[in-house]
Amino acid sequence: MNRDKARKRDQKMTTPSPKSWKYRPYPGYDLPLQERLSSFQRRPEFLVFVLRILSAIVLRFWLRFYHRFRVEGRENLPRKGSFILVANHASHLDVLCLLSAMPLRRLHQTYPAGAADYFFSSLPRSLAAATFANALPFDRKKDSAASLEACQQVLAKPGSVLALFPEGTRAPDGKMGRFRSGIGRLAAGQEFPVVPCYLEGAGRAWPKGRRLPLPGRLLLRIGQPQHFKGTPPSRQGARDIAGDLQGAVADLAETRMGK
Amino acid sequence: MTFLPTELTHHIVIQYLAIAGALLLVAGLALAICRWVLRRPLPGVEQTYRSWWIMLALAMVFVAPGRTTVIVGVTLLSLACFGEFARATGLYRDWWLSGGVWLGILVVAVSSWVSDPRLGTPGWYGLFSVLPAYATAFLLAIPVLRGKSRGQLQRVCLSIVGFLYFGWMLGHLGFLANAEGAQGYLLFLLMAVVLTDVAGFTCGKLLSRVFGRRPLAPEISPNKTWAGFLGALAVALTLPWLLSFSFPPCFGTGPKILLGLIVGLGGQLGDLTISFIKRDLGIKDMGSAIPGHGGILDRCDSLVYVTPLFFHLVRWYCGLGG
Repeated sequence: MNRDKARKRDQKMTTPSPKSWKYRPYPGYDLPLQERLSSFQRRPEFLVFVLRILSAIVLRFWLRFYHRFRVEGRENLPRKGSFILVANHASHLDVLCLLSAMPLRRLHQTYPAGAADYFFSSLPRSLAAATFANALPFDRKKDSAASLEACQQVLAKPGSVLALFPEGTRAPDGKMGRFRSGIGRLAAGQEFPVVPCYLEGAGRAWPKGRRLPLPGRLLLRIGQPQHFKGTPPSRQGARDIAGDLQGAVADLAETRMGK
Repeated sequence: MTFLPTELTHHIVIQYLAIAGALLLVAGLALAICRWVLRRPLPGVEQTYRSWWIMLALAMVFVAPGRTTVIVGVTLLSLACFGEFARATGLYRDWWLSGGVWLGILVVAVSSWVSDPRLGTPGWYGLFSVLPAYATAFLLAIPVLRGKSRGQLQRVCLSIVGFLYFGWMLGHLGFLANAEGAQGYLLFLLMAVVLTDVAGFTCGKLLSRVFGRRPLAPEISPNKTWAGFLGALAVALTLPWLLSFSFPPCFGTGPKILLGLIVGLGGQLGDLTISFIKRDLGIKDMGSAIPGHGGILDRCDSLVYVTPLFFHLVRWYCGLGG
């Protein structure tokens, strides 16, 4: 066995590299900055990498001490492979909590889908959304089919995590809205699992319309991964998946703390 | 440690501002005539023209206050140039090596800014001049320490070129800020490089119609012609006399001729350098940071090449002073 390994290693070491250099320019390197930031093929460069790690560490401290943020069910996050996180949406804190629940080494592969009409409407907003949150501009108004297609391509890269809020907007009164069927279209018949999450306390800590968050307690419950490989990618299938996931998130909401 | 410029030569800044402003106003007048009198607007050229005003303003903001702002400005420019280079070649994927180059560029900035620990003069030239050796050693050690071999030679080579060309060679512009009468040198260099570029472009367009089109380097940059090359060289050779108020008296006839050759030949070599890199990569522009010009590297290509040559000309004939 060992000899076999050694032979394989020798072979690998003596196979020459391809004869000429291979350049792989940044996809869209010659686009204006705003367009480059709102591309689904965006990749982190060194500066972005550093800024994102630093801001994530600061954010984790902030959530821990200001909001007493806790995560339950962290073991439910798949260790390998792509998956989708879905959660209820009550506040801007939601995405920050989801990002903080991920291990730091997967930070650059975790893409929250942000509303293109809000987070990518101006250059400063796009810069912040792309650099600190690694957000992807999801078109929830006109062409969501194209955005779903692009999300599909992001998930095809191994190890990508897509964070989605299937309600499509922040719930104004703390009550969870209906899950839209886009998540179903994305997950139907696919290999990757969908992990439902419920974040408690975000609507109270940072309600819609308030400038800065209050020091409310936050709790993120991560549920069991769900697989939809067998669901047909039809309209009904998509609706069923959205319904299932909404039910799963609602169940997490009713779980008593510490149970 | 000196925080203020070694010599506040504000009259030079004002002279350059007046010259550049006048040239841009004349160009603007020509564009206005095209637009409203001849009714043949040139939207592409107008965009290029607007960007020139912004570049003039930025140059003045960084050069006028003194050495610290020059060093900061040059460092930002170095990082921006390297960023474009890294994106275009794909080096940006390697965070370790691009981080190493970033670190190198910051060390260039620090060594230009601190005082020499032995002599006490602004700028630690000893450290600055040995940086290529240390940076090469450091960048070569990165794949070793990470235990990687596949594809590493290409990445290390790209990062060494990136550091040497955009960090260290361009960094001479920042170090030049430590010279006595630095603003004269810096503004002359910026102005001369720009005017030589423009002269090459204009002569190429106009003279080619008269003498026929003879391509200078058809494999590298099909738009460059011999007419443009000679026109640019001629302009570069006259500029040191036209703008002789920028230099101290030690800058005599010999250095002026050499300066003309350096700007005239070096500028065009720098231009062609970035061109051949782009051809090899199979891309048209290095980026899109400057509307109407392309990337920052498409604009600063000549400057990067000429800067260290000019620096050593100054250092040889006049010394850095202080």
